[in-house]
Order: sequence, then structure tokens, then C-alpha cells
Amino acid sequence: MLVLLQSVLSGILIGGIYALMGIGLTLIFGVMRIINFAQGELAMVGMYLTFFLFKLAGVDPFVSVLLVMPALFLLGAVLQRTLIDRALDALPQNQILLTIGIGLVLSNLAMLLFTSDYRLLSTSYSSSSVPFAGVHLSTPLLYCFAITLAITAALYWFLRKTETGCAIRATAQDRDAAQLMGIDVRRMGLISFGLGAALAGAAGALISPTYYIYPQVGSAFTLKAFVVVVLGGMGSVVGATLGGVLIGTAESLSAAYLGSGTKELCVYVIFLLVLLFRPAGILGKSRT
Amino acid sequence: MSTRWALALSVAAVALLASLPVWLESPYALHIFILIFIAVATGSSWNVIGGFAGQYSVGHAAYYGVGAYGAFILLQQKQLAPWFGVWIAVALSVAIALIIGSITFRLRGPYFVLASIAVAEIVRLTALNWKGLTNGAEGILANDLPALKLGSTLITDWNGKTPYYYMGLLMAVFCVLVNLAIKHSKLGYYLQAIREDQDAAHSLGIPLAFYKNAALAISAALTALAGSFAALYIGFIEPQGVFGIDVSIQLVLICIIGGVGTVLGPVVGAVVLVLLSEALRANLLAHGLFKLGLPETSGIGRFLGENLAHAHVLIYGLLVIVVILFMPDGILGFASARLRRRRAR
Repeated sequence: MLVLLQSVLSGILIGGIYALMGIGLTLIFGVMRIINFAQGELAMVGMYLTFFLFKLAGVDPFVSVLLVMPALFLLGAVLQRTLIDRALDALPQNQILLTIGIGLVLSNLAMLLFTSDYRLLSTSYSSSSVPFAGVHLSTPLLYCFAITLAITAALYWFLRKTETGCAIRATAQDRDAAQLMGIDVRRMGLISFGLGAALAGAAGALISPTYYIYPQVGSAFTLKAFVVVVLGGMGSVVGATLGGVLIGTAESLSAAYLGSGTKELCVYVIFLLVLLFRPAGILGKSRT
Repeated sequence: MSTRWALALSVAAVALLASLPVWLESPYALHIFILIFIAVATGSSWNVIGGFAGQYSVGHAAYYGVGAYGAFILLQQKQLAPWFGVWIAVALSVAIALIIGSITFRLRGPYFVLASIAVAEIVRLTALNWKGLTNGAEGILANDLPALKLGSTLITDWNGKTPYYYMGLLMAVFCVLVNLAIKHSKLGYYLQAIREDQDAAHSLGIPLAFYKNAALAISAALTALAGSFAALYIGFIEPQGVFGIDVSIQLVLICIIGGVGTVLGPVVGAVVLVLLSEALRANLLAHGLFKLGLPETSGIGRFLGENLAHAHVLIYGLLVIVVILFMPDGILGFASARLRRRRAR
């Protein structure tokens, strides 16, 4: 029973990170209909930024989220304006390949600059834990989850209550109609790609105290972000949050009961089953 | 260019390539050619499903890896010579392709791409965890290859690079010929119809599932062949190296960069990519910069000299971005459009 509780709780905590990655992906997809395969590499950039902020300036990883997010927003906006925006009318397959190319460039630039060494960001609380109802919860993951919740809530508020947020949602619903209503859809694309990148960066920064940092770390995150998004329904922010928590829980349950080797296997099997039997996701509307 | 000229030129090119090891003695040059042959073969195999049928599978590492592991395990555990074992591995990967196809072809567009990645990851993780068969993450080192004999005449005992060179050339030419045959056959026309408009093709009475699966089976067979050849040539395999998503992406990029859906596109893509990434790997770029006056002992000079060689995949990323944005028909399509425009003037 304790094992069950322990793995469900730590699954939910790690699921927060996956949700953050997924929300970024789903936001970009919703507004621009582009699946961003470089999402994980953007998180990798966030991880390295956090690592060097900690190493060189002593900034705590959970504080550096505040610096990493604007930096990644900028990077995302630049990528969008210079590359993605030019391919909006290309075949969807070619758009995917374009973002794969961007991801390859980012990860190989990281390799060029920082070598392929594994780095570890160890803070004073990296391996400490908090007792809770008989089980132990990792302190950094708890912080991380709390910040994730705050970011998600802020994003939700932004999308629902602000004028720009409404414009983004309108663009996601119907690009042409939004343009006819006088919304600058190109700008909305820029903002949502920037936001998506910022969320990926935040996820990278938040997970850096508990994860190895290396140039190829991105692809694992990208794949997981897809699983989360497809599970929740492409384009749905609430769905991505739910998907993240579900995938995190499924991962830690299978690690606890089926052996740690089956952790990822289980994720992909779930992914395939969802794609086949409910491609619109749990909360998504059916595809047109 | 008329067909007869094209035929004569290709025969001459293959003849030239076949005579190469006689007068070219540098093992490094032969090595580069062998890498190009492998890239031509894998690019052409992906072209059958991705180029002609328009189904962008980013999971071909599954077939590549099954070919590699199949040939290795049969050689290692059953002492079965690769030239027999390869065909078993090819058959196995066709069987897997048909299972994967029947699952993933129900999906379209980006969903198909995602499903193909997921399936390849499932195959990779299975190989990683099935330690009894695959030796897990440690990988397998190849035994010495038994001598190839026809009756009692010795054909080769796999000394040096020349035998691999001819095997690779044979394989690359075969894969290109398969592409050529498909392009001008009923199968090829059906596949191109599916690529251009799936629903229209369906309404004309083309059974989508059958032809997509047929294309995937051919593609998987050729990929497995190339995978097992590459593995035997290198002599070592491990799950990430043959089943990893990087392998799948490289296959696709060879085709996209050269020119997708054309017979010669994968050949052009393979030559460009292998030469560029080997130039980076051999540090030619850094040495070139030194020659141009960049001081070798300066901070940035030392840095580039040490690190540029590790980033040889960088060129894949840069090239694919340039190709998608500025030459969507690949280098071949771009060049021939340029040529046509110049002639029209």
C-alpha cells in the first residue's frame, strides 16, 4: 500500500514537468498547427542556462526560472520569425522536418560548446526529502511541482482573462475568422511560439536539480511531451496538464511494479493505444 | 537528357565505381565510398515509402536495427554465415513491417509520424531490455566473418575494405534499381496517387491499406539489408546506435536533402551528407580555418580544433533547415529547375 502511495505521489510530482512541456507544445500546435519537434531541445537549453547561472553566479535553480523563461521566450520568438514563419504554408511533414532540423542544430551546438559530458547540478537540497503520510517526497520535486502549478495557473489566467490571451484562443479556433476580426495572427503565432519555448525552458530549469544535463537530453523530453499532448488531446491546455500527470503516474507505477526497464516501454504502449483508439485524446474534440 | 543518354551515363558511372579499388589504394577513400553506399541504400529504401507513397515514417530504425541484430545474432549464436542470415533478418523485418503497417496506417499526417516514432522506440526498448538475446546496452561485437565460398572456389575472406566495397556497391545499385523499377510500375503510379491525394486515390478504387503495406514491406526489406551490411562492416552494434531515433532521422534527411520521390535524389543526398559530415569528423573545417589564418593556439582555435569533430551531425540540421526553406524539392529538384530556367532563357 505504501509502495502504491509512494509511486502515485512521485508520479504526480514528475508529471507536473511533463505537463509543462506538453502545454508548450499544445499551445504552439493550437495556434500555428505546427508540431514542434524541438520542444525538448528548448528544454535542454533551459537546463544548460540554469546550470551555468548556478555554477557561475550561484543563482538557485528555482529562482533562475524567472531568468530562463524570458530568455527562452526570446529564443522562441527569434526562431519563429526567422524560420518557422517562412514554412507556415509548407507540407505538415516538411514543417516537422524543419523543427527536427532546429532541434538537431540546438543539440549539436550544445555538444560543440559544452561537450557531451554529463553534468549534475547539485544543490544543498538536491537529495533531501519530506516525510508525508508514511512516504518520502523529494524536496526539489515538491518545489518544482509548486512552481509548475503557479506557472500553469498564470498561463490559464493569461489565456482566459487578458485581451492577448483571448486573441490567441481565437486564432487557435479559426485562423481566418480571427484575422477578419482584426487580430494580428502573425503576432499571435510569435507570442505562442515564444510562450511555448518559455514553458519548455521553465520545465528544463525546474528539472535540472534532479536530472542529468547533457546535449541529447532533449529527444526524450520531446517524445514524452508528444505522448502527454496526444493523451490530453492536441490543442487542449487542460488536457495536457491531465496527460502529464497521468503519464508521470503510469511511469512510476510501472517502474515500481514491473521493473524500472519497463518505465518508458509502458509510456509508448499507452501512447500507441491512445493514438489508435482515441486519437482525439481524453479531452480533445474529434479531428476534422 | 534522353533516356538512352541517362542509361549510358549511369552504366559508365557504375563501371567507373567498380574499377575504383583497382587503382585507388587509400583505405580511407574506400571507407568513405562504403559509407556513401550505405547511405544511398538506406535513403533509397526510405524513398519507397516516404518519397513515392508520401508516408513520412520516422521509425525506420526499427527495420535497420532488426537487420543489424538479426544478422549479428544468427552469426554469433547459430554460427550462420551472414549471407544466409541476412535473408532471415530481412524476412523478419518484413514481418514486423506488416504488423507495424497494419497498426499505423490507420493514422494520417502528423499522427502517422508520431506513431511510427513510438513503434520504433518500443522496438528499441525491447532490444535494450531483452538482455538474453541482445546483450542489452553493452551491445555485440561481431565474430570474424567466415570466408565466402562458391562451391570450393574462394571468393573472399573479408580482408581489407575491397570486399565490403563491392558488396556495398552491389547493394546500393540494387536499391536504386528497385526505386527505378517501382517508379515506372503500376505499384509506383498507385503510390504516387496515394501521396498526391489519398481520398481521391481511394475513390478511384486503389486499396490504400494493401499498397501502403506493400511499399512499407519493400522499404523495410531494403532497410534491413542495408542495416545488416552496415553493422557487419562496422563490426559492433548497440541498441542506441541502430535503433535510436537519430538513425530514423538520418534516413529521412538523406532523401529530403537530395530530393524526395526521385530515383537519384537519395544518391545526391547521400553523397552530399556523407562528404560534409566526414569533412567535419576529420576536422577538415578546423584545419581549413587554420590555413585561412586562424591561429591554432588561440583560445577559439583550440576550441574549434577539439570540438568541431564531435558535432558532425550539426551539418544535417543546418542542411535540412536550408533545404526545407529554400529548396523544398531537394538539391536535385533545385538544380534541375535552375538548369531548365537557364535553358529557357
